[in-house]
Amino acid sequence: MPVCPSSSLDLNQIPRNQWLAIYRTMCRARFTEQRMIRLYHQAKIFGGVYTGFGHEAIGAGTAHAGGDNDLFTPCIRDLTVHLARGLSVLDVFRQFLARATGPTRGRDGNVHYGRLDQGVYAMISHLGAMISVAVGGVMARRRQGLDAVAMAYVGDGATSTGDFHEAVNYASVFDVPLLVVIENNQFAYSTPNSQQYRCKHLIDRAPGYGIEGVQVDGNDAVAVHLKVREIVGEMRQTPRPVLLECDTLRIRGHGEHDDAGYIPEALKAEYAARDPLDNMRRSLTDAEIATARELDTIDSECQQEIDEGYQQALAEPMPDPATLLEGVYAE
Amino acid sequence: MTQTLAETGVVERTYVDCIRQALQQLLRDDDRVVVFGEDVGAFGGAFKATLGLQEEFGRDRVFDTPIAESAIIGSAIGMATQGLRPIIEMQFLDFMNTALHQLINNAATIHFRTGNAVPITVRAPCGGGFGGGPFHSEELETIFCHMPGLKVVYPAFPCDARGLLVSAVEDPNPVVYLENKYLYRHVKECLADNFEPVPIGVARVCRRGSDATIITYGAMVHESLAAADVLAAEERQIMVVDLRTLKPYDHDTILAAVAATNRVLVVHEAWRCCGFGAEIAAGIAERGFHLLDAPIMRVAAPDVPIPFAPSLESVYRPSAGTIVEALRELIEY
Ligand SMILES: Cc1ncc(C[n+]2csc(CCOP(=O)(O)OP(=O)(O)O)c2C)c(N)n1
Repeated sequence: MPVCPSSSLDLNQIPRNQWLAIYRTMCRARFTEQRMIRLYHQAKIFGGVYTGFGHEAIGAGTAHAGGDNDLFTPCIRDLTVHLARGLSVLDVFRQFLARATGPTRGRDGNVHYGRLDQGVYAMISHLGAMISVAVGGVMARRRQGLDAVAMAYVGDGATSTGDFHEAVNYASVFDVPLLVVIENNQFAYSTPNSQQYRCKHLIDRAPGYGIEGVQVDGNDAVAVHLKVREIVGEMRQTPRPVLLECDTLRIRGHGEHDDAGYIPEALKAEYAARDPLDNMRRSLTDAEIATARELDTIDSECQQEIDEGYQQALAEPMPDPATLLEGVYAE
Repeated sequence: MTQTLAETGVVERTYVDCIRQALQQLLRDDDRVVVFGEDVGAFGGAFKATLGLQEEFGRDRVFDTPIAESAIIGSAIGMATQGLRPIIEMQFLDFMNTALHQLINNAATIHFRTGNAVPITVRAPCGGGFGGGPFHSEELETIFCHMPGLKVVYPAFPCDARGLLVSAVEDPNPVVYLENKYLYRHVKECLADNFEPVPIGVARVCRRGSDATIITYGAMVHESLAAADVLAAEERQIMVVDLRTLKPYDHDTILAAVAATNRVLVVHEAWRCCGFGAEIAAGIAERGFHLLDAPIMRVAAPDVPIPFAPSLESVYRPSAGTIVEALRELIEY
């Protein structure tokens, strides 16, 4: 039987509402993606579907530790980050269904969105490319007198890119308060970590950049959140980058087109037993932050929001072909 | 009939089958050949073009790399200059942008600067039409064609896919081999097991005609042929030239085709501004101005990033329909 991972942590250090907000974000992401998967298999979605199944604790635990002025560059597994920053489930469906009303007006697909007014940059596909953008964004915000920090999300695979190295070194040289959230889910598409890097842990690289590295259980939202609150608090006082490595497993395929046959079944089973949502429920009920019934209520509120969001997005139009040429340049 | 076909090994082969077949043959025939890239090993590549090759030839010759496009091309340069024949798979052409530096600054200039050959082949899946959005649909041939020192091939048919791949690998220069994702499983041909290399630099007339000529390549060859079918029903005969190689391209076949119809439409899936069609049009204007009865026309993608929404991508991407419209205008000029 898996032990409750957070049993040693004191949840009462922070307000109850914060924990419930984190739980809600995780549910909204999970249930939205469940719907997305169904729609994909019903061929009701154009393009691919990539989910953050099993990654919910990382995005929710980190993003809910951010403040209003902070900046985020989430990647494909981080629907939680968008939702935590205020994106509506409705907007997510608009995006996936290529609606003119969505955050990219139907111009880009699936996870490639982000609202700057919520401090979130829209990713490009190219792995590692967004880290330096987060660096520059937060450099500017600090110059404007804001005590902002940035959180940049990458997978284990993305740490092999030149862009990753350039950005982290750059942030280090300029003492930029950048939390690099490495979601180590053990696979990059089909490639296991043994073919990706040879340090024991990715944070072993931190000393090479002259920065600190911290490891945390990526399936435990309580552990992630408490650790990141602490790091971010220190970062605001003494700006500097930190590598945070969150261990987890990508329990589904790279995208829904991929059955992940290359991931050993035993490994999948091990992580399925440590599902971040189940973990979080257990942590909250054990610590008497919420009753199971209260959490069930949140679940059904999320489901309802998803039903309504999907139905509304469905009823909205796709972009008018006559607008094809619009928006390439700023006016 | 079926029996004779079976005896010669003639089977229906898709474009991606032919790529795999050529890779397999190259690995078998030439022990200098190595195949590498992201997820090309046991997984067989994002599009399954390398499926089974690691099993057959071992991890020494077919292997996965870290996600490091620049190092993938850089290491290929090192290997090629030490006697190997590396074949790289870029998972998507779009991601090759992060390695352009190694390709255009390093690989493309080495022979000119030092006299050392750099025989590398970079396979790059490209093109849209399936909801891939801005970063999984790009057509960037122009960038490569612009760089002295690179060769660029772009097959449209399964037989050319295998024949050109062999020629690319045998060529002593860096060759960008563009393969269109839409064609992978959409085009099939009945082909024998044995095949000859298709020479680099030679276009093919896919369809003869007298009323107008389309110069095209890649997925647009098929849209152009479909457009030619539509006009054939109206008694208009359209010549379709598939360039197959973009650099060095086949001026002579182009000029002969222009001479036969006196009207030219250039079609490509890439953006219009500075697209490869501009080079073709300029070449015709320089060498065949006297052959023209109408201005050279182009059908190309409009100058906007590739949109995701089907309602936009369907008008973004050139199609048989937009080609038919352009042909009518051209013929009526
Ligand atoms: C520069 C670049 N190369 C290749 C790809 C194709 N690609 C998309 S996701 C992916 C695997 C990413 O693995 P990882 O960074 O570990 O993130 P995960 O998908 O496991 O969350 C690859 C190879 C890409 N998007 N960008």
